[in-house]
Amino acid sequence: MTPDAIVQAEALTKQVQSPEGMLTILNDVSMSVRRGETLAVVGVSGSGKSTLLGLLAGLDVPTAGRVILNGTDLSQVNEDERARVRAGRIGFVFQNFQLLPSLTAIENVMLPLELTGCPLPEKEARAGLTRVGLADRIAHYPSQLSGGEQQRVAIARAFATNPQILFADEPTGNLDEKTGGRIIDLLFDLNRERDTTLILVTHDRAIGIRCDRRLELSAGRLLGALN
Amino acid sequence: MRQRRAGDLKVVIAALAVAVAALVSVMTFADRLQRALKFQGSELLAADLVVRSHDPSKSEWTAEISRLGLQSARTVNFRSVVMRGEDSQLAEVKAVEEGYPLRGRLRVAADINLEDAPATGIPPVGTVWVDGQLIVLLNTAVGERVNLGSQQFVIDKVITLEPDRGGAVFAIAPRLMLNIADLSSTGLIQPGSLASYRLLIAGDVSLINTFRDWMRKREEVGVVLQDASNAQPRFRTALDKGEQFLGLATLVSMLLAGVAIARAARNYAQRHLDTVALMRCVGATQRKILEVFTIQILVLGTVGSIIGCTVGYAAQQVFVYLIPGLVAGDLPWPSLMPAVIGLAAGVITLVGFAAPIILRLRGVPPLRVLRRELGALPNHIAAVYITAMLTLAALVFWVGRDLMLASYVLGGSLTTIILLATLSYLLIQLVSRMRWGVGVTWRFGIAALARRAGSSTGQIVAIGIGVMAILLLTLVRTDLLQAWRTNLPPETPNHFLINIQPGQLTDIEGFFREQQWPKPHLRPIVRARLIAINDKSVRPQDFQDPFAQRVIQRAANLSWMESLQSDNKLVAGSWWRVQERALPLVSVEQQYAEALELKLGDRLKYQIADQEITVTISNLRTVAWDSFRPNFFLLVPPALLNGYPASYITSLYVPRSRAHHLSALIKKFPNVTNIDVDALLQQVRRLIDRVNSVLEYIFLFTVLAGIVVLYAAIQTTQGERRQEVAILRTLGATRRQLFIGMVSEFVVMGVLAGGVGALAAMMTGYAISEYLLSIPYRLHISTWLVGVGAAVTIVTAAGILGTYRLWRTPPWHILREN
Ligand SMILES: Nc1ncnc2c1ncn2[C@@H]1O[C@H](COP(=O)(O)OP(=O)(O)OP(=O)(O)O)[C@@H](O)[C@H]1O
Ligand SMILES: [Mg+2]
Repeated sequence: MTPDAIVQAEALTKQVQSPEGMLTILNDVSMSVRRGETLAVVGVSGSGKSTLLGLLAGLDVPTAGRVILNGTDLSQVNEDERARVRAGRIGFVFQNFQLLPSLTAIENVMLPLELTGCPLPEKEARAGLTRVGLADRIAHYPSQLSGGEQQRVAIARAFATNPQILFADEPTGNLDEKTGGRIIDLLFDLNRERDTTLILVTHDRAIGIRCDRRLELSAGRLLGALN
Repeated sequence: MRQRRAGDLKVVIAALAVAVAALVSVMTFADRLQRALKFQGSELLAADLVVRSHDPSKSEWTAEISRLGLQSARTVNFRSVVMRGEDSQLAEVKAVEEGYPLRGRLRVAADINLEDAPATGIPPVGTVWVDGQLIVLLNTAVGERVNLGSQQFVIDKVITLEPDRGGAVFAIAPRLMLNIADLSSTGLIQPGSLASYRLLIAGDVSLINTFRDWMRKREEVGVVLQDASNAQPRFRTALDKGEQFLGLATLVSMLLAGVAIARAARNYAQRHLDTVALMRCVGATQRKILEVFTIQILVLGTVGSIIGCTVGYAAQQVFVYLIPGLVAGDLPWPSLMPAVIGLAAGVITLVGFAAPIILRLRGVPPLRVLRRELGALPNHIAAVYITAMLTLAALVFWVGRDLMLASYVLGGSLTTIILLATLSYLLIQLVSRMRWGVGVTWRFGIAALARRAGSSTGQIVAIGIGVMAILLLTLVRTDLLQAWRTNLPPETPNHFLINIQPGQLTDIEGFFREQQWPKPHLRPIVRARLIAINDKSVRPQDFQDPFAQRVIQRAANLSWMESLQSDNKLVAGSWWRVQERALPLVSVEQQYAEALELKLGDRLKYQIADQEITVTISNLRTVAWDSFRPNFFLLVPPALLNGYPASYITSLYVPRSRAHHLSALIKKFPNVTNIDVDALLQQVRRLIDRVNSVLEYIFLFTVLAGIVVLYAAIQTTQGERRQEVAILRTLGATRRQLFIGMVSEFVVMGVLAGGVGALAAMMTGYAISEYLLSIPYRLHISTWLVGVGAAVTIVTAAGILGTYRLWRTPPWHILREN
């Protein structure tokens, strides 16, 4: 095991039941990510990028192989302990934002802070929203915000607890090119400021280029590092 | 994705099926029971239908009866003096034909004070069966001879129970029963003699109805048809209340079914928003969308209803086996009507409750494909509930046997729903103000409620209604039934003494003192005949109503009272004041007034002996006939009838074992007639007990329907909850945090719904007992507490059960769903 690896995958395989029988959507993938590194996972649609991301973050369990996240072997612990590993240390940005529709922008950002027992969640959340340029949309509900604004709330939420790792699954996939570009800039800026490890799924080559390293998936297999 | 859709469809079908099952089982059972109870009512007539006339029954009638294959038996009733040597006594004579009684059993004993048993047949030719009282009064015994008219008879048996004697208050003398074959030999029946002829008929309901219609068409003067529905008033009251309880249970389950369906339909539509947007995108017209969903709804409704009907029938059958001996004799077979109604109700309710939502679906903008929040279902719960209520109203009036009850239930529910909605909405607003003062998990729960204020209100209203129904049917019902049962306490009078003369009052009271019986309430009676209403003379044939015909035919009992008895209740006008105690006023019992179409201020002219008196109606009142105390259709002020010939009546409780004390009384005051209503009282008690035990089970079903409503209501937000749990999980929430968050939402919701639901249950219970059933009801604060507690527990338990699975599964596949 690489000593400074913060995320490490060993022989990850994911199979799902489909009408045509067992389908292998991730096949024997091994990889590791160093602390502070930025990594792009690229590949055509359906190649298994999101699947890999979900497994690395402990949001799903592999059929075979294991993931060691921040020193914890995720296959050795239960659902609840996997959640504990993520709390405050892992941030997420999804293509479809995944904000809670019943909470306002600031309440959404406060969520991870409060879950980890932060003493002044409101102050922190306000600062975070200001940082992403949404100081004046604090009390808005997600449905009252544009896609780009929602994604900025999601980014503020992802960085609120100063996580060690940020997982991003096509964060610009639902946005126009210009907005997407601004979102990516924001993501990389924050990443630099906070010295976060970034694992980014994208099929946009231009975005991939901005990362330290790129991995390409094809039909569930790792093609090897691209440089 | 597709798989989840199919799952949702199953939930909708299940909700519909359970609702229809509850409806069908309650209706089927209530229907069977009502027919069984009616059958018991028939026992009081000794027949299903009785044709009463002043002349012997016509041969056309009997021809029609045998053509239809109905059973029949004739009886002839008149008064005559029975002689034994020097002694003579007036008797109520009844000549009966073989087959009597067609319904119920006559019970006889071999001698006075001996055990009785069901009689086999009727008095053999040459013999008579008599009341024990007649034997005492004539100083005779079983086996001895008595004279009736020009014929001698041997006393063969003592009658202990005559099913159709019922309201014997009108009888003034003991019974003597003989074989109709002996009647002519007595020479007592001549043309024009005062006898009442009865033709007892029994058989299949539809044939009975055919005969009844046939008789009605003949419009014969002086012929009155009587069936269980206009049998004795005491029984009438008990039967009415039983039917009202059953009807109430049915209506409440229908209402619950509707609410459950409304929730289910909304869930269903909500999940199809995306599909519709997509269909619009690929060019489906609004018409096409309407078509697709209408067909889907119809198919869904039919499938759900068929399952529901099957389950409903099976359930009520199981339940018949669960309570053996529920009613005397066999329960009639279930009719198919409830199934037809159930099927129709299922489809109609689904369409009715889903229509406002489906119509909205048509308008979902295609743009929703891009912006999911577009075209979300509006929270026009008012529109949904009003359409729903109208649908239900149509159903209720269609099914409804009792329009009064239906309008009470509908009016009550509508008021309750509006109240519930307003209250919940206000409470949600209030609670959401407080969300900053609580921790993250609690805030999360409250925020979830407040954010969806509209649908939360809908949800709380639905849960509130479920809670209300369950409470109403468990706690309040116990109170209601208890109140009904205690209307007949153990010491309810079982004997009436009538024909007491004014000069005997002090002696009678003295006799009561000696026996250490409570002081009797002696009520005066003056016999009077109604001859004119508002100066227009009246004849029986002027009225359609058989009851009206009877009261005009017969002499009425006028009594007087200073103040109103506790078992009487004023419904219109005012009671007389002290200075009015000699004015020509009259207080009329409500049913009597309705039958004769009387209103306040009408003038009634009565003939008393050879004098006439006109009295003005000053008030109307209801009478609890089942109190078994002397009660009267007509009351006048206390000093009005001074100087008119009066006799007195009283009722008292004498235990069976001490009935011989009454014989002593009769010997001392030979003109006084003792009427034993003990058997009748037992019959009424049995009826009440049976109806009670049936209700226990029927209410159980309604409670089930209530639970379905709760389930459907909780199910409403289950989809959103899945997503919430997944996101919280992703952000690292632990099981404990998830648990507290979820519980907080359910607790807040349970408290709100339980609070308002229990309040509504108490108000409804009060309204029903006060205005509909006329029985006293006390409000218990514990009802409310139990309601809140139950709501919180059920809602939380159901909610946790519904989400528990999510806490143990990886959040990834839920996140992928969107
Ligand atoms: N639960 C599942 N059941 C069946 N098939 C699945 C499931 N999850 C993923 N797949 C399939 O596995 C393959 C990989 O999916 P994945 O979402 O990882 O692809 P991706 O590389 O992220 O594609 P995209 O760029 O389009 O997001 C796809 O073909 C997908 O249909
Ligand atoms: Mg993907």
